[in-house]
Amino acid sequence: MYKFRTQGYNGYSVKYSPFLDSKIACAASANFGLVGNGRLYVLDLTPNGIVQNIAFDTQDGLFDLAWSELHENQIVVAGGDGAIRLFDITLKDFPIKSWKEHTREVFSVNWNMVDKTTFCSSSWDGSIKIWAPNRPQSLRTLLPPSPITPSCTYQALYSPHDPTLLASVDSSGHLRLWDLRRPNPMVVDINAHLGAEALTLDWNKYRPGVIATGSVDRSIRIWDIRQSRDGVSASLSPINELLGHEYAVRKVSWSPHRGDVLLSASYDMTARVWTDRSATEAMFRPRARIPAISRSSTMNVISTHTEFVVGCDWSLWGAPGWAATCAWDETVLVFDTNSLPRLNN
Amino acid sequence: MDRLQSISNQIQANPTSAKERLFEKSPDDVVFVAAYRSAFTKGRKGAFKDTDAADLLQQLLKTLVERTKIDPSIIGDIVVGNVSNVGSGATEFRAAALAAGIPYTVPLMSVNRQCSSGLMSVIQIAREIQTGQIDVGIAAGAESMSKSWGKPTTPFSKELISNPEAQKCTIPMGITSENVAAKYHISRADQDAFAASSYQKAEKAQKAGLFKDEIVPITAEVKDKDGNTQKVTVTQDEGIRPGVTAESLSKIRPAFKKDGSTHAGNASQVSDGAAVTLMVRRSVAEKLGLPIIGKFIDGLSVGVPPEIMGIGPAAAIPVLLKKHDLQPNDVDIYEINEAFASQALYSVRHVGIDESRVNPKGGAIAFGHPLGCTGTRQFATLFPELRRTGKKIGVTSMCIGTGMGAASLVVAE
Repeated sequence: MYKFRTQGYNGYSVKYSPFLDSKIACAASANFGLVGNGRLYVLDLTPNGIVQNIAFDTQDGLFDLAWSELHENQIVVAGGDGAIRLFDITLKDFPIKSWKEHTREVFSVNWNMVDKTTFCSSSWDGSIKIWAPNRPQSLRTLLPPSPITPSCTYQALYSPHDPTLLASVDSSGHLRLWDLRRPNPMVVDINAHLGAEALTLDWNKYRPGVIATGSVDRSIRIWDIRQSRDGVSASLSPINELLGHEYAVRKVSWSPHRGDVLLSASYDMTARVWTDRSATEAMFRPRARIPAISRSSTMNVISTHTEFVVGCDWSLWGAPGWAATCAWDETVLVFDTNSLPRLNN
Repeated sequence: MDRLQSISNQIQANPTSAKERLFEKSPDDVVFVAAYRSAFTKGRKGAFKDTDAADLLQQLLKTLVERTKIDPSIIGDIVVGNVSNVGSGATEFRAAALAAGIPYTVPLMSVNRQCSSGLMSVIQIAREIQTGQIDVGIAAGAESMSKSWGKPTTPFSKELISNPEAQKCTIPMGITSENVAAKYHISRADQDAFAASSYQKAEKAQKAGLFKDEIVPITAEVKDKDGNTQKVTVTQDEGIRPGVTAESLSKIRPAFKKDGSTHAGNASQVSDGAAVTLMVRRSVAEKLGLPIIGKFIDGLSVGVPPEIMGIGPAAAIPVLLKKHDLQPNDVDIYEINEAFASQALYSVRHVGIDESRVNPKGGAIAFGHPLGCTGTRQFATLFPELRRTGKKIGVTSMCIGTGMGAASLVVAE
C-alpha cells in the first residue's frame, strides 16, 4: 500500500490516467471543501513510492476531475465556484481554458470515452452541461422537463458503450438517463433510492445497461436499465443491493477488468470491494429480484483512512486489482485490492 | 454555508430505514391477491370427520377461482402442503384441482415439511414467481387429521434406530413439549395463562365476526352413529370454547408425563381444515386488475434439535429479522403456531416479542392445527387483521416435528 499526503487539502476525487499506468490525479479542497482554495495534484507512481509531479491551485475548492481522453497531458476540474478549468500538466500555474456557466458548485466532470471529443459536467444548479475543449460555450444544457424541479446533480457520466448516452444521479435520489440524440433528452427516470440522496453512479464496463448507484441511505443498488420498458417514469427494481457501508456511499466505480467487481468509498471511512453476484446469477435467473444482504458480499474492506473516503478509482493499465482512494484525511492511497483482508457478510 | 448543510444532511441517519424498504413497491414483487380457509372442525367428531382433505381443497379452489374471477388457465402452478395423507396427497390433490374446474394444463404438486407444509407451499410459489418460472400460482394446505393422522409411518431401519441422533426423530411431539418446558423453565401456570388467552382472543374474535373475511363456507356430509348421512354447511371454527380461563385449564391432567405440564387444554387441537392463497407477480396483478392484499417478502427454514423441536420459531424468526435488518417489535403482528403453549411462549419470550403482537385472534390451541394446512391458514388469518387494525408488517412462524422452524415475512397493502 502506497500513501501520498495532500497536506492541507482534503481529497475529493482521484483518477488514474487513461494513457499511462504510472500517473494519477487528485482533486482536493482546503477546509474539507467548505470554504477556501482547491488544488489539483498530479502524482507519479514510482518505484520509490508516490511522487508529486505538479500541482495547480484554484481559488475555490475542487470536487472532481477528468483526464482528457484525447490528450494525455490534459485534465478538466470541477470547481466550487461553478467554473470548469482545463489544465495542461506540462504547463505551470494557470489553466489553458476556463468555462463559467454553472451557477453553483460543479460536482462532477466526465470525459466521453467513446467519441473522446466532448466531456460533461453536473452541478448543484441542477443542470448537466456538454462541452468540447475547443469551444468557448457549452454545446448543450440538460435539465429535467417540468414539472420536475432540478436538484443538486451530484454526478453525470457518459456510457462507456454509447457516446450519446449519459446517466445522472441527484439529491432527489433519482437515476436519470439522457439520450443526446433526442430533443427531449431525458429518456428514463428511476426513483432509485426512494427519496434518499443519490451521490454517485457508475456504468458497468462489461454489461451494457448495468449501472451502480450509491446513496445516503447507505446502499449501493445495481440496475439493469434495459429492463425499463415503461418509458420515462420507469418503475424498475434493482437487480442487486449491496449493503454494508455504515454511512452514505460517496463514490462507486466498476472494475475495468471484471464485470462483477465494484469499488466503493463511503463517509464510514472505508472503501470496499464488492462482488456483484447478480452478474452471474442473471444468466440463470432471467428475472432475479435478489433480496437484500443475503446475496451481496463484501470481498475486501480498506479501513486505512481515518476520515470520510470520498474518491476511488481503478488502475486501468496497471496490474488488474490495483486501485486508488482519496479521503478527507489528506491521504491518497494506492493499493492492490487482491491483497486486502477478506470479509463476507 | 450551503456546503456544510449539504454534507451534514448526507451523514445524518439513514433516511430509508429497513422498515420503509419493505413498503417499496416493485413490478416484480410477489403479491397475495386472496387468502381463504375453511372453518376448522374437531378431529374425528366434527363436521369434516367424513370429508377427505382433497374435498376440502376442491371446494376452496373452486371458491378462490369464483371470487377472484381469475382465468384458471393462466395459473402456472399449484402447490399443496399436507403431512398425513399417503404420499402427502399428491394424487388426490391433483384430482381435486381437476374437479374444481382447473384445466389439466395447470400442474400441481404437494409438499411436506411437516407442520410448516402450508408455508412451504407459499414459499415455493413465491420463488417460482420470483425466478420468472410462473406469473400466477396457488399455494394451499389441506389436512384431514380425522382420516389420515396417527397412522403408522415407515418403520426406521436398524441403522437409524441404533443412531442416537437419528432416533430422536421418533420422540412424540408431546414429549418434545415437556422437554422445552423443562429445559427453559416454562411453568405450567404460564402455559395455562397463554392457552387461556388464546381461547379468550379467539372467542372474542369469533363473536365480533373477525373470521368472516377468511373463512369460506364448506359443505360436507357427516355420518351419524346409525350411519345416516346429513349435509351441513360449515362456517365457524368448532374448537373455540367460550369461558376458558387459566384457572379452568389448571385442573386438566398432564397428557404425556405424570409430572408434566402439557395437556389437552394447552396444546393445539386435532382438527380438519384447508386453506388457499392466490399469489401473483405485481405487474401481472395490475394488468389483470386483481386486488392486492399484501406482499410476500421472504421465508426460510432452520434446523433445531429434534428433542426440543418446539423452539423452531425461536430459531427461525431471528434469522429472518436479521436478514431484513428488523427489530422484533418492528413487526406489527406475529402468527406463531401454537403447537404447544410451552414452545410458543418460549419462542415469544426468546425472540423478545411484545406478547400483544402475537396471535391477536387466538391460535391453534383455541381453534386447531390441521398440520399441513396451518402454514397457509396463517396468511388467511393475518392479512384481514393487519388491514382491520391499519398495521403493515406480519410474520408467520411455526415449529416443525423432527426439529425445524420456519418463518415468513409479509407486508399488508
